[in-house]
Amino acid sequence: MKILFSLLFVFTLAFAGDATIEVIKKVDALPSIAIEDASSNYDDTFKLQFFKSLVADLNVISLFNVDRYHRTIAFDASSVLVENKDKNYVLRYKMFKDDNGALNVEMKIIQDDTNVFSKSYKVGRQDVYMFISHAIAYDINEFMGEPSVAWMKRKVIFSRIVGPKKSEIIISDYSLAYQHVMLKGGFNVFPKWANYEQNAFYYTALDATKPTLKKVDMKTLKVSTIISSDGMMICSDVSRDGKTLLLTMAKKGQPDIYTYNVDTHQYRRETTYGGIDVNAQFMGKDKIIFISSRLGYPNVFSKNLKTKEIEQMVYYGRSNSACSSNGEYIVYKARETSNAFERNTFNLHLISMKTDFIRRLTATGVNEFPRFSQDGDAILFIKNYKNQSSIGIIRLKHNKNYLFPLKYGKVQSMDW
Amino acid sequence: MKSIVLSSVVVALLVFSGCSTNKPAVDTKKTTETPAPQEVEAVEIETVSPEDSMVDSSSNASDTVGQMSMSDIESKLSSVYFAFDKYNLNADMQEKVAKAAELGKSGASQYNVKLEGNCDEWGSDEYNFALGLKRADTVKKALVAEGIDASRISMVSYGESNPVCTAQTKECYAKNRRVDFKLLP
Repeated sequence: MKILFSLLFVFTLAFAGDATIEVIKKVDALPSIAIEDASSNYDDTFKLQFFKSLVADLNVISLFNVDRYHRTIAFDASSVLVENKDKNYVLRYKMFKDDNGALNVEMKIIQDDTNVFSKSYKVGRQDVYMFISHAIAYDINEFMGEPSVAWMKRKVIFSRIVGPKKSEIIISDYSLAYQHVMLKGGFNVFPKWANYEQNAFYYTALDATKPTLKKVDMKTLKVSTIISSDGMMICSDVSRDGKTLLLTMAKKGQPDIYTYNVDTHQYRRETTYGGIDVNAQFMGKDKIIFISSRLGYPNVFSKNLKTKEIEQMVYYGRSNSACSSNGEYIVYKARETSNAFERNTFNLHLISMKTDFIRRLTATGVNEFPRFSQDGDAILFIKNYKNQSSIGIIRLKHNKNYLFPLKYGKVQSMDW
Repeated sequence: MKSIVLSSVVVALLVFSGCSTNKPAVDTKKTTETPAPQEVEAVEIETVSPEDSMVDSSSNASDTVGQMSMSDIESKLSSVYFAFDKYNLNADMQEKVAKAAELGKSGASQYNVKLEGNCDEWGSDEYNFALGLKRADTVKKALVAEGIDASRISMVSYGESNPVCTAQTKECYAKNRRVDFKLLP
């Protein structure tokens, strides 16, 4: 009996925190939270806009049952509104304009009529209010002692196809509420952040004589040319320190993976297979994963950059054409139907390299371009379903997906 | 036997009569009307119009002299089509490439050619771009085999982002799996 118990204990320990294990039914007992608005300066439209943004963010952190009623109160009122008496938490905030016209937000969290947390925020322009809303949600998540949702405060860069051979590169927040067209005109695709600080990015210009990798410094707006290749030129990944790029180039009409040193401008060919090798991603320091057609169909492989050893990573599915990795996990895109002439379904799957467990993350439509957040807490992806293009977020630990639809155009690729 | 049945019925009745419940009284008094608070949608997206700095990368390359004859020749170069997820040429398409090579040696001999590989809409990932490139490369190899100098040929893949047809039909998908010829001065 003792042995059985200790075995069970070891098993539980071994699988605790495995993101491939899906929580099917959780006891529906999330604490409740209500939001009280104490703003005075702004008009009702904006007040409601900010409120909606907060509700959406609090939903995405997946810790609360969020009350969706917009109610107003004085910021210093000693007690919460009578309707919110039964709520576990109340978030009360006040927006006000300072002398410079900047948007200021003061907020506090009230539990049992006691202030348990408070903080102030400020942003120069009113139209970037959503970044305050994201920051509030981030801080509440920290206050609750949950694993960080730092990805919420990061910026997303994506390319949008607006017509044949026409695209835009856009910088947005994770929910697409804020969108700033950074690069307009021409045919530019595959944007990729050049560093962790997100103040520069790479992209592929397809309207040059040869596909060319360019870099934009967002402070100086200087565009520099990095390297070009006949046929194909994509920056697939940037190392954490920003020093090494993983490129897909086709120097002789042959798509292969190259490493590129940003300081020395030297590149090195890493794969030599005669078919297709693309989509390389760093997995640790000396290892990459990539998509290769070496089995006759696209699948996920890994290569140790030092020992040159190549290994097949996924043994499920007949067409796995995109991937992203974080720690021991790989998320990949698999074609679920193989019909040449009708709508096909592509789903994202998560596989653990330790346990080989696989979890399907999406159910309908064309789900592609998975990208892990830096901390591995969430996966960002593109969903195209019924002529609607959206960016989706998968919260792995909470088993929840959120979709943020794009108003027009089609998302071609993105990074965050 | 009868007495057992009877007594069990009596016992059962006794047990169930003990289970009767008194429903709690419900307060039917009307509560005072308060203005209904507004409920909002779960997730709503508002697009913000840009006003910050921006890079404009549209090229102003002007058309050169001889543009007419170039587009004339281009119109004679018909696209080469491919099967789903494939980059090999079938006999029909081989013929098209041979005709293009013929033109490349005669009327279009002073121009270079750019082969543009394209795919259907199934995926915007790098693999799809690579597939478009392999298609262009197949056409390039066939042109070289027909006697065109490889240095006159350049290639680019547009993946799924340059469709000629956007309807969701099998005819449309087939039209997009193609390689186009573009002449360069």
